[in-house]
Amino acid sequence: MRSKVMVFPALLGILVIGLLAGCGGSSSSSGGGGGDEGTPVDGGILRAAINDNPDHIDPALSYTSEGWQILEATNNGLLSLKKASGAEGNKVVPDIAEALPKISDDGKTYTFKVRRGVKFSPPVNRDVKPSDFKFSIERLFRVNSGGLAFYKGIVGADEYAKTRKGGISGIIADDKKGTITFKLTEADGTFPMFMAIPFAYALPKGTPDKDISSVPDARVATGPYMVTSYTPKQKLQLRRNPSFKEWTDQSPNGHLDGIDIAIGVDPDAAVNMTVNGDLDWYFTAVPPARLTQLKAQYGDQVNDYQRNNITYFFMNERKAPFDDLRVRQAVNYATDRDALVKIFGGQGEPTENIVPPPLKPAYKKHEYYPYDLAKAKQLIKQAGVEGTDVSVWTRNQEPFPKATQYMASVLNQIGLNATVRVLDQSIYDDTISNQKTDPQIGINDWSQDYPEAGNFIDTLLNGNNIVSIGNNNQANADVPALNAQIEKANRMPLGDARDRMWAELDSEYMKQNAPLVPFLNASYPKFNGPNLRGLVFNPTYFELFPSMWLEK
Amino acid sequence: MSGQGRTSPPTGRGAKGPPGQWTLAWRRLRRNRTAMTALGIFFAILLLCYPGASLYSRHIAHHGPDFQNIQGKIEVNGKPTPIVRYDGTPIGPGLRSEYPLGADANGRDLLLRVLYGGRASIMIGITSALICTLFGLLLALPAGFFGGAADGTIRWLLDLIWSFPVYLLAVALATALVVGGADIGPIHIESSSLLIPILVIAVVYIPYIARPIRGEVLALRRTEFVEAAISHGTRSTRVMFSEILPNVLPTAVVLFTLIVATNILIEAGLSFLGVGVPLLTPSWGNIIQQGYTQMVTAPWLTLAPGIAIVLTAVSLNVFGDGLRDALDPHARHRARFSTDPRGAVAETEVEAT
Amino acid sequence: MIIFLAKRIVGLVAVLFAVSVITFIIFNVIPGGDPALRMAGRHPTKQAIANINKDWGFDQPLYKQYLAMMDHLFVKRDLISYQDQTEVLPTIARGIPRTLSLAIGAAALWLLFGIAMGVASGLNQGGWTDRVMTILAMTGISMPIFWLGAVLLYLITFKYRELPVLSWFPAGGYSPISDPVEWVRHLILPWITLSIVSIGFYARVVRNSLLETSSADYVRTATAMGLSRRRVLFRHTLRTSLIPVVALFGLDFGAAVGGLVILVEPIFGLQGVGQYAQSSVAHLDLPPLMALTLYGAFFVVVFNAVVDIAYAWLDPRTRDA
Repeated sequence: MRSKVMVFPALLGILVIGLLAGCGGSSSSSGGGGGDEGTPVDGGILRAAINDNPDHIDPALSYTSEGWQILEATNNGLLSLKKASGAEGNKVVPDIAEALPKISDDGKTYTFKVRRGVKFSPPVNRDVKPSDFKFSIERLFRVNSGGLAFYKGIVGADEYAKTRKGGISGIIADDKKGTITFKLTEADGTFPMFMAIPFAYALPKGTPDKDISSVPDARVATGPYMVTSYTPKQKLQLRRNPSFKEWTDQSPNGHLDGIDIAIGVDPDAAVNMTVNGDLDWYFTAVPPARLTQLKAQYGDQVNDYQRNNITYFFMNERKAPFDDLRVRQAVNYATDRDALVKIFGGQGEPTENIVPPPLKPAYKKHEYYPYDLAKAKQLIKQAGVEGTDVSVWTRNQEPFPKATQYMASVLNQIGLNATVRVLDQSIYDDTISNQKTDPQIGINDWSQDYPEAGNFIDTLLNGNNIVSIGNNNQANADVPALNAQIEKANRMPLGDARDRMWAELDSEYMKQNAPLVPFLNASYPKFNGPNLRGLVFNPTYFELFPSMWLEK
Repeated sequence: MSGQGRTSPPTGRGAKGPPGQWTLAWRRLRRNRTAMTALGIFFAILLLCYPGASLYSRHIAHHGPDFQNIQGKIEVNGKPTPIVRYDGTPIGPGLRSEYPLGADANGRDLLLRVLYGGRASIMIGITSALICTLFGLLLALPAGFFGGAADGTIRWLLDLIWSFPVYLLAVALATALVVGGADIGPIHIESSSLLIPILVIAVVYIPYIARPIRGEVLALRRTEFVEAAISHGTRSTRVMFSEILPNVLPTAVVLFTLIVATNILIEAGLSFLGVGVPLLTPSWGNIIQQGYTQMVTAPWLTLAPGIAIVLTAVSLNVFGDGLRDALDPHARHRARFSTDPRGAVAETEVEAT
Repeated sequence: MIIFLAKRIVGLVAVLFAVSVITFIIFNVIPGGDPALRMAGRHPTKQAIANINKDWGFDQPLYKQYLAMMDHLFVKRDLISYQDQTEVLPTIARGIPRTLSLAIGAAALWLLFGIAMGVASGLNQGGWTDRVMTILAMTGISMPIFWLGAVLLYLITFKYRELPVLSWFPAGGYSPISDPVEWVRHLILPWITLSIVSIGFYARVVRNSLLETSSADYVRTATAMGLSRRRVLFRHTLRTSLIPVVALFGLDFGAAVGGLVILVEPIFGLQGVGQYAQSSVAHLDLPPLMALTLYGAFFVVVFNAVVDIAYAWLDPRTRDA
């Protein structure tokens, strides 16, 4: 999913460069913050802040990490990603479903048994029924959800997308038996993932077909918390859901009594407020320039998390000079990934893989392109493209322009003639993923929609996915043999065998096609108040509110 | 009223303008030590940015402003020190021949970038002010001269540009142009061209020039010598350009000087918003824009180009102030063309109508 | 007078109309600015884009879309943003007290210090006070406002944080006026940032105007008649020389409320109208931008007109212009 776009990077960053870490005293001596040591205490309101409105507080519409973080605490789906940190958190587990689904032999039918006794919050106050899930998936199409592409493989979904009447025939809900069955047009092993992300969360039948973010009565929760008030651009309040009763350890009752979120606090101000003791927790990462100092002074309150994401340059295989494999390999050789990591404030690890490391075993480190400028120059000479004009595209969100300028200097060094084109971040994605724009080379990053390597390999490189607008395969990589491999992996059930195939594909793509210059797995450093405990970072939902507790 | 100092017939005829007036002004200006110092500072800045930048680049730094060295090291106090630290913090200012003002996050020499950046900033300031003044005059002359519907339309147009939120307009225009560039008739402007920020800035500030000049033209139009020329049957365009233009030129020159300063500030603002000068060309605005995120760890990246901007703008503003006094001795202390062009607008809005 | 007023009002409406049309057109021709594409998420399907276009009316001809937007803005008053589908007008309404807090405080500062500096300068023409004030004023005028804000914050809330006085300043944010001390504490840096350019400018205007007035005949006459210098200054000179300030103030206040706040509010996280505008630009979110552009233009044009009307009232000769 998209991590919330930073607003006007230009203005944003300066914000309140205040800091007072300088006068902060010796809080690092207080026996450890941020860890999960000690016995959790219930009670207290978390003082939180966010940069701008979360995009939506509607499971069907929210498509940012901030939105999902809230929805994880308020709503539930049939399945869930395990509410744990690290690789463990990438596993699919049952949530409102009693168990993982029964999958038919042809891999096309998924049947779930729905747990009884899970209640919707007031004013609905009734048990969640299988038909609510059917309703919620169908509602995605009626409210034009950004996530509906994940559900288009259900039988009848295409038809329903057109008519938006009569329901999706491939979803069969039986409220009496308490089951719901999904029929797919083709076998798709990824389907359980789609059932675990917030788009598939349950809303009660009758929820209006519009954004419910600002409709208090329609923001019905199933989880331990509910959004009790939302004033855009000012504040957002979560309180305990009175109807909630823990059903498994995957749906823990929260420790906090509530969460008060101040809207409009930028990352720098948040650091200052946290140091001042005015803030317990902030939604997004520490600004790179502040990290070194915070780590030194408040080491216990800084957590460096690993997200499933990758930052890379794509090279358009349909455009000269990048239609030549040697040129793409040359750029890979000529890129000093350590230098790029510095530009990103040292926040993360250099990489040459497409799949991020937390997705092991789908991640298997390979090293085909050690830094070698001479070899790069030689390849460019062999390809006969010296002096070719190249535009390197970037969004204006720091530090992307700096990384792009570095890339331009690299291209110039190996004999091309590079310039930089900067686009406002609000239009960048849509512009470069449009075949009409047809950029030669550009920078981009990809954060997972769901924690599975296919979301990287299939989404970014499958030639069968190339479209004219909204094209995520910006390199236009299209290797028929590898496409077929991808399709095969997609059909396999989630698990080690499938993961090994992704690892193989990662290696093959970089070796024989080199469509991207992957260079960074950015880390996600967070800074929180000294009293906050129980921080669990799930790669999909990020830090889990229900696990947090405040030391008295 | 604007024209009252010049009700006597102009000394010169034709578009050349009255030489006597300019010579006199120059003499008065030379006696104004503050203004001459300011002019000196501005020339010094020009010298530093033009020959200075190349000389420094060739003979001392031995590389250009775009040379990046992220992984390199230099000797500081006998110890090899990385130009950019592992966490992206560049080396700071120091008394040494390499990177005397420090480096930026890409390992580039900040001093070189500020010097070369001055070229783009000053060039944009001057070019956009020229275009702006030209269009301002072209709108102001007919508006003041013909009055009536022409005046009404042009004034309304100026009101429109004036009331459109400046930065919003600039951001919108620049965003629109940056993807595909622009086609104005047969001319194609590349999206990376400096012409984009120049044109955007020029358009936005037309009212600052046009309004006060329109006021003057309006006043001149009622003077005897213009009435006389018209009653003799001289063509209106001829009257406009040979009788009125030379008389409003001093005002235009003063406003031009002041607006160069304003435009340098606006360039910085636009670059700061990410829609100004294309990245690979350093300008003071985009050096600030790229450096401010590191304000806490590397404040020199923001301070150095900012101080350069302030210095240039101050020198131009002070000089413009002196120039006004020199060109307009009758209204030596008049607030009419106050230091900021905004003042001129307010005043003539009131006076000239 | 009525005709004059009517003319101004027609002019105002015409300007606002044109501003809205231009805004609408600009945001519809920006390449990559298609809101449907952004709403359709990272994996857009053709059908989804078509549905969004239909549901939001993006498939309608431009003039119809424009009319619909105006209808939602002025008649139904239920315009919602594309970005997060929140209602635009209540958000603006909540932002206005914050923006006015910023602008009014800054205006008070720049009037007070601008006039004081200008008078001090004008009374000591040529003296060292005059020179120092001139240099200060010129430097104020020559500062990029966003740069000033960033540097102020850096120096005051970071670099020299240890100094006891400076540690009083908060890192940003807004505190309602119900607690006046907190209100001032949170606004003082933004006030300074927004007012410094104008202080320098007003100081120059007042100085020059003062010098001009004191050389005027009637002032010289009054002095010759033996009135005390102080009396002449306050009775005659100052009053007359502040007239341009009145005119300027109208325009500058309009410009500040309607535009400049976009550069200042986000720096300090005030969440007023300016920050709303900034975040809407960042998302290319047309509905709030449309409302905010009209809001800004309205302030500029109205204050423009107020100045003209005030002068017309003072001086009937200007009415027919």
